[in-house]
Formats: sequence, structure tokens, C-alpha cells
Amino acid sequence: MSILPFPSFLDDVKEKGFKKAIFEGIDDSVERLTAGMNVQDVREALRGDTASRRPNPRLTPHADGFWLHMRPSYFNRDVTGMYPSFRLGWLSSYFVFFETITGILLMLWYTPSPEIAYGDMLTILSNVPLGQLMRDMHRLGAEFMVAVVALHMMRTWITGSYKKPRQFTWFTGLLLLVITGFLSFSGYLLPWDQLSLWAVTIGASMAEATPVVGDQVNLLLRGAPELGANGLLRFYLLHVLALPALLFVFFGVHYYKVIIHGYSLPPQKENIGEDTAKRVPLDKRVYFIPDILTNELMWLGATTFIITVLCIWFYHAPLENHADPQVTPLGTTAPWYFLWIQGALKLGDKFIWGVAFPSVALGALAMLPYLDVTPSRRFAHRRFMLTIAMLLVSATTILSYMGLAKFAVKTSAETEIVHELTFEPAHSKVGIGRTIPFDQMIAGAYSTAQFHGHEGLTAADIITEFNGETAANGQYEQMVDELKFQKLSANQVPVRFRTIPEMEAPVLMRVMEEFNHHLEEAPTELPNVWGALVITDNQRGLKRLDWIVSWDSVVIEGGDVKLDDEGNPLFVYATKDVPVFDDEGDPVFDDMGEALTEAELVLDAEGNPVPARRIFSDHLFIHEASAYFD
Amino acid sequence: MIKSVESRILTGIVMFVAIMILVGWVAINEEARMQAFVYQHTGRSIERGAELYASLCAECHGEEGYGALLRAPGLNNPHFFGYDPVGEQTAAITNANRTLVRLGDDSDDLLAELTDAANPPSDERQNQIQTEMEAIQTQIDNQKNIIDEAVAARQAILGSLRTAVEKGLFPLWDTIEDSDRTAFNEIEVFFNNNGTRLAQVGWAGDLRGYVITTLIHGRPGSLNVWPNSDGGMVAWSQLAGGSLRQDQIEDIAAYIMNWDKGSNWTMEDYLAVEQYGKPLSDGSIPGVPRPDPAGDNPEMILARWAEEEIVGSAGNGAILYDTRFGCTSCHRDGASAPDTIGTWTRVLTERLTEPQFAGYTGERYLVESIVLPAAYVVDGYSSGAMPPDFGTRQMIDQQLADVVAFLMTQE
Repeated sequence: MSILPFPSFLDDVKEKGFKKAIFEGIDDSVERLTAGMNVQDVREALRGDTASRRPNPRLTPHADGFWLHMRPSYFNRDVTGMYPSFRLGWLSSYFVFFETITGILLMLWYTPSPEIAYGDMLTILSNVPLGQLMRDMHRLGAEFMVAVVALHMMRTWITGSYKKPRQFTWFTGLLLLVITGFLSFSGYLLPWDQLSLWAVTIGASMAEATPVVGDQVNLLLRGAPELGANGLLRFYLLHVLALPALLFVFFGVHYYKVIIHGYSLPPQKENIGEDTAKRVPLDKRVYFIPDILTNELMWLGATTFIITVLCIWFYHAPLENHADPQVTPLGTTAPWYFLWIQGALKLGDKFIWGVAFPSVALGALAMLPYLDVTPSRRFAHRRFMLTIAMLLVSATTILSYMGLAKFAVKTSAETEIVHELTFEPAHSKVGIGRTIPFDQMIAGAYSTAQFHGHEGLTAADIITEFNGETAANGQYEQMVDELKFQKLSANQVPVRFRTIPEMEAPVLMRVMEEFNHHLEEAPTELPNVWGALVITDNQRGLKRLDWIVSWDSVVIEGGDVKLDDEGNPLFVYATKDVPVFDDEGDPVFDDMGEALTEAELVLDAEGNPVPARRIFSDHLFIHEASAYFD
Repeated sequence: MIKSVESRILTGIVMFVAIMILVGWVAINEEARMQAFVYQHTGRSIERGAELYASLCAECHGEEGYGALLRAPGLNNPHFFGYDPVGEQTAAITNANRTLVRLGDDSDDLLAELTDAANPPSDERQNQIQTEMEAIQTQIDNQKNIIDEAVAARQAILGSLRTAVEKGLFPLWDTIEDSDRTAFNEIEVFFNNNGTRLAQVGWAGDLRGYVITTLIHGRPGSLNVWPNSDGGMVAWSQLAGGSLRQDQIEDIAAYIMNWDKGSNWTMEDYLAVEQYGKPLSDGSIPGVPRPDPAGDNPEMILARWAEEEIVGSAGNGAILYDTRFGCTSCHRDGASAPDTIGTWTRVLTERLTEPQFAGYTGERYLVESIVLPAAYVVDGYSSGAMPPDFGTRQMIDQQLADVVAFLMTQE
């Protein structure tokens, strides 16, 4: 007879006593939750003892439970170490989940609209506790994931694990690699800063080279001829919906295939042509419960710990200025994992190198298991394929290097040098000119001529002499005109150069030395060059830094300096307009009644032509709160 | 692989605990980090604003924000940031005047008690009243001294700002500067309405909002206010058809607001400004009543012009005719209203020859046509098309005279 009008736990208590009823209740619940292991079984497993009852309760979760039915109940001891897997497959899976979780958290504060997206980034950084950490982790995880998946592929190649019967596993893995690349790439655009806009613009422009439908593909991807509101929304949906959905589908197929065929053994552990992965001898079996399970949980902790440490002390996701389609930054590149395509593009035709070459390369990779049908997985028997693998790695590295902005892209030396000194923070680097501490930006005009002196001259002497020279030959005036043209207030232009206050401003000194060093590296392009830095107080807490390069103009053809037979640069000579006179010495007028003039070379006292002096300047403002130097 | 299960469990637990400690440590420091980020971000916003200002704004408003004569007002400017150079003195005068009113009332009460015939005070009380009234008189003298000193101080400060006043600081100040003491209230009203830029334009929000609004929408009609400017203040925001995004507008505003020196503005800052802002609209100052409109009686209008020596300027009239009152939107090709060109010729040769205009001068005909458009409609045009309120509401005498002067040049 029940105590309550229906059977209940109280009946157990009445029948068995309170303590026993409670314990049995707990035991029962644990067994249901673990799909087969009661408290005693769990305790034994975690102690590393053998199971005390038969049939082995540690196998039932794999047989009866949903989550563990996807995992093998035991592994071959030969595949559980660092070699041969290097845990790259496990790490790839780890990052899939890691990115999903951090990504969902970031989605809470993100709106895919050009008006709002960048502001949302600032909100995440300025007003969301742990927001910066979450963003850093998501970004770093993405970079790691691309690298890990690529390494996973190389490992599979090197151990020959793509061979029969795992050809299709290899193929799905390759799909996952491509999806991972696009996932990372589509996420690149979302912060909507200059870095993302231009990296993606470059990446997406490759789609344009597709024959016949290039424009359509481009339009489909960007939603408009230029990346804008539609493009951002499309990339966002690709990033959070379409690509993850594809990823999870192929991830499922890939893992299913891995389990079906078993983890491939190290090549030397089995006979040539045999695949013994599914036949694990009793003495080689390592059971999932408890060994693999605890191992994986341990690695879960260790990996997350490493990423946390990296994101706290060593890595911060870049965020540049707001995206601006009107302003193309100097030295824009695609994300590093697409640099090889950008490098290939420098070899020639956009279609051949930007579309055909990557497609053929991927196609060849997909067909690899069907092309390489030799049975042996031993390293000694696969010298050809291993050579190909190393060539692939080398070629990718070289092409990636060629993809860098500094390779084979001609920018004039003066622009390059000033940019090198002043570029905004990106990829954890910043132009050294921005790192001068605020109190060391002492107002005044400084010149690299200070370093050009001869023995025995003090800096003050050199600058005094230099002031005399530049006043006499008009170069100082040219600089002043340039500065005024650049909207530096005439009241603020210094009247002469002064020596760099080395004691008060050692960093300023170092920057000027660096400036000088860069200028001296381009002797043919920038002959008789001097550089200057003019620091002015602009507002409370705000300085203006004008960088000036002044040099003798040389003939440039196709981005290179034209040299004479002796290897000296050919100068462009200064000219002045003089009136034209006819034979009788009267001035000649054109149809409009204006006096005709012609260009005539300017000659110095000895009758030699004077090179035209050119000047280049760029400026930046630095606020004391900007903390570029922290 | 770590061999024993226990070691793995221990390592795993250590890792997870370490992660929690690290994240917890980060979380504790988040408040400070976020504040530092905001600080840094503000700095960079000012930097970007400086860059935009140099390339877009410096041309007219000056590289150092001092403005340019008759071109654009200065923004690096104490008046703009609400610093009132004579605020202290004006407040002192206001206080003293209030005290004077109170003392006057007290004194009146005592006097009333003293001279109350129905209920005369006792001798003792009379003496007491006398003493009190003397004490009040002393206080009144004190207050007057305070006022005199403050007025003198204010005059001295304003005197040292002479150059700035010439560059547009305190427009119309000259009209009341020399007023006698009875005009104190007028002077105070003037400073309350003109002491700062926001008061001058009657802006109810804060200065940053004012700057941002101006950047977004520009200043319609500013070309008329600033003859030397090249196109006037245009709308800069993409919202309003310009080229800048909202974040860029905010960057520029951050840069402009960074000129604020708070209470540390000096006389030199006033004198450095090349041009001060002008009051809005027709030159009347908020707080000072608008001048009366011209009215709709042509004879009285002309009589007043003669009496007050009001003479029209054809140049100003052209601008008013074209932009302010928009006359040319109808009076242009003769389709919907008589063409502007040839007006004066037609008036003299055609209209005045008609019998109903006997005794009219051309000027009177024009005035009547503007203030009483229904009085006569030229054949072929519909009556009631021209707004009837130019005289009664829209134009003051000077403007009407300017427009008429302009039309008299249209031969």
C-alpha cells in the first residue's frame, strides 16, 4: 500500500530505510545519465581500476548513449600518443566548438550594418566586460584553426593516411579545409575597419577573374559593385549560417569516415598494403572510458588555458580605423592564408593565377588518393610523394612571401619611408614615429642632416651650417611652402632647424636616426636627400608631426631610377619660364594675346644645370591619450 | 599520454582552475581596462578629427581655428565655448541692483510709516526710523559703489577687447555701450543673450550638439552671412547629402571641443580670433525685440523713410530679392509674374501713364505693389498670386527700401 495515493520514493524509504533509498536513487540516476555506468563503475573508472562486473559497464555508454555512440569504445595504443596524429584532428574539432561558443557570445553585441558594425566593435572593447578577451580568443582561435587544419592535411599526406580505404575521408577533409578558409575569411570583414575592408576587397576581387560569370559571382558575393551594406550582410550570413552549416555537415561525414575505417596506424606498424586499424589486439586496446576521456578533458583544459594566456598577454585582435572605401591604405594584403594566391597573382594573368591556379591546385589535392595508388605507406617507399609534399610547402611559403606588400610592388621611396615611420597600428606593429612618448615630442624643426656631419663637428655646428645652406638655396622656403600647403598654420612654422634634444628626448633621437638610416638606403632614388620632422603644438594634448623628405629629382621609368653608363642616376633639372623673343628682340604673343614663354634650364654660378629639388611631406596628429607607445 | 588516470585528472583540474582564476582576474580589471580604452579612443578620435579638420575645415575656419574675416567664424574662441569675460561683473551688478530694489522698498515703508498722518509714530519711533533710514542710505551707497566699480571693471575689460568687438564679438554692443545707469537692465539682458555663442543663437542643447548639428546640416544661407566664404557652410554628413560618415562628424566635433580651455581663457585668446560668429537671421538679436515690419500704408512708409533718412541699397536688395524673399522664383521670365528685368522702365513708361496712378512717383508705385499686391494687377496675370504679407509681416523698412532700390536699377 503506497503512502501517497500513488507509488513514490516514500515507499522505498519505508521499505528500505532512508539512507539506502537515497543511495539507490542516486545510483539509479547516475546509471541513467551515463547510459549504463552506476556510481561504483564511475568510481572504479576514475581510479584507473579494472571494471568489477561483467559485462563491462564502460562499453554500454557507447552502445546505448547518444553522445558516446559517436566515439569508439577503444583505441589502438599506437595512435594515442603525440605521433602519428599530433592531435591535429582533435585540435581542429576543438576549434570548431571553441569558435562556435566565442562566436555566439560576440553575436550578442554585433549588428551587420556598415553604420553600426564598427561602433559595435568599439562597444565590445569599451563597454562589454570580457568583451575584448572574447574577441581576441575568437580571432586567435580562427587563425589557429586555419593553421591546424592545414597542418592536419600535411600530416595525413606525410603518413600516407589518405590511401585506400580512406580516399573519401581525405576528400571531405579537403572540403573542410576550404570551408575553414572561407569561414575565417568571411569573418575578416565583420569588424568593418580599414584592415578588414581592404583585405576582403582584395580577396573578393579574385572572384572577379572567373571567366564568363566573374562579374555575376562578384555581384552575388558583394551584393553591389562595391562592398557595402549588402556585402557586409552577405558575409555575415555566410559566416554565421551558411558556412558553419556546411562545416558541421562535412565534419559529421569526415568523422564518421574516420571511425568507420579506424584511426590509421603509424605506417611502420602494419604490413605493406594491409589496413589493420579496425583489428585492435586485446593487449593494444586503450579504452575510451576512462583513459581517452580523461586525456581529452585534460587537453581541453590545457589548450583553453594556453589560448587564454596568449590572449591576455601576447595577442590582441587588430582594429584599425573605420572602413573607408575612399581611402586605400598603403600595403594592403589579403589575410595570411590567402597570401599565396596574392603572390601567385603577381606572376601574371589574373584568371590564370588567381582562379585557374588555385582551382587546379585544389583539384589535384582532391584527386591525390586516386593518383597515388601505390600500396605502401612507409616513408622509404614514398620518396616521390614526400618530395611533392615538401615542394608544396616550399611553394606555398614562397608564394605567400611574394604576396606580401613589400614584394614587387613599386612605391616611391619617399612615400615608403614615411609610411614605414608613421603607419597606424596593425598586426601588433606600429610605425616607430608614433611611439615617441608625448613629453618627448618637443616642438621644433629637426633634420636628419644632423647625422651627415664630418669628424669634429658638433651637432649644433652642423645644424647651424645646414640652416645657412637651406636658407641660401631656397630649400627651407620650399619646405615652409609645403607645410603651409598642408595646412600647417603660418604662425606655427618654425623659422629654422634646431638640434635634436637628445637628453630630453632620446626616443625622438632614435626615430630621427632611423629616418636617416632609411633615407640613406635609397641613394640612387633620393640623391642629396635630407629628411625633417617638424613638431608643433596643435591643441591641448595634441601634437602635429610633419615628416618631410627633400631630394634632387631623378628620372624614374617604370618604377626604377634611370641610370647613366656609370651607374649614376639621371637628374631632372630645374627650369624656369622665360619670355620668347622674335628675331628683332620683341616679345612674341600667342593668339590670346598672352606673351609666349619657354622653359629654360636654371644654371648655377659655374654654368652647370641645377637638379630640380623635390619635396614630399605627410603629417600625423598624436594625442597624449592615444598611447601608441604602451 | 600521461600514464595514470589520476595525473590526467589532476592536470585537467589544475588547468580549469587556472583558466577560471585568469578569467576572473581579467574580469576584475575590466572596469579599468574599459575606461583606459575609452580614454585612448577619445584621443584617437581627436587625432582623426584633427586630420579631417586640416583637410576640410582649416581653409575657412583657419588652421588654428581663429576663423577668417567675413569668411568663417572662429571656433578656437572663448565666446564660442561659453566663457563670458564680464560674467563676474554682470552678476555683481545684477545682485547689487536686486539689493537696491529691496533697500528701496524698505526705505519706502519706513517713509510711509513716518509720514502716516492718520497714525503718527511716537517721537521715540521717529528717531528710530531716522536712524534706520540713515543705515539704509549707507547700504544703498555701498551697493551703488559696488555697481560703479563693476561697471568700471566691465568697461575696462570690454575696452581691452576693443579689437575683438570689431571682429564681431558682441555685435550691436556699440548701440548700448554708453548707456547711462538706468539702462543697466538693458545691458544685463544684452549679456545674458550675447555673452556666449549658445545664448546668442538661442540653442537649448549643449555645445557639442550644436557643433554636430552644424556639421551635419551645414548653415543654409550662410553664403549671405559670410560674403568672403566660398560656398558657405555646406552640409557635411552623408545624411544630409555631404561626404562624411557619422563617426567622422563625431571625430571633427571631438577635435573642435578639444579647444575648450574651460575657465582658463585669457584676453589674448579673445584677441587672437580673426572673426566672431554672427547672430542668426536678420541681424536682430534674440532678446531684443524685432524691429516693426514696414506696414501696408505706402504713404506712411515713404514719409517715415524721409523722416528717418532710410536709404535703400541696391546691392543688399538684390540678395534679399533673390534669396531671402525668393521673389525671382516667380518674377523671372514673365510667365507667372512680370519679369524682374525691365521693371523700372515699365513702371515709368507704362504704369505711371495710367490714370489711376496720377501723382504717383515710381518709388511709391513699387512700394504699393509690394505691400499691397492686390491693389493693382498687371493685365494677363492672376490676382492673389503674390503673398500679401510682405509689408505687414516679412519686411522691415530697410529691407523694403533695399528691394525697391534694387528694382529701380532694373531698366
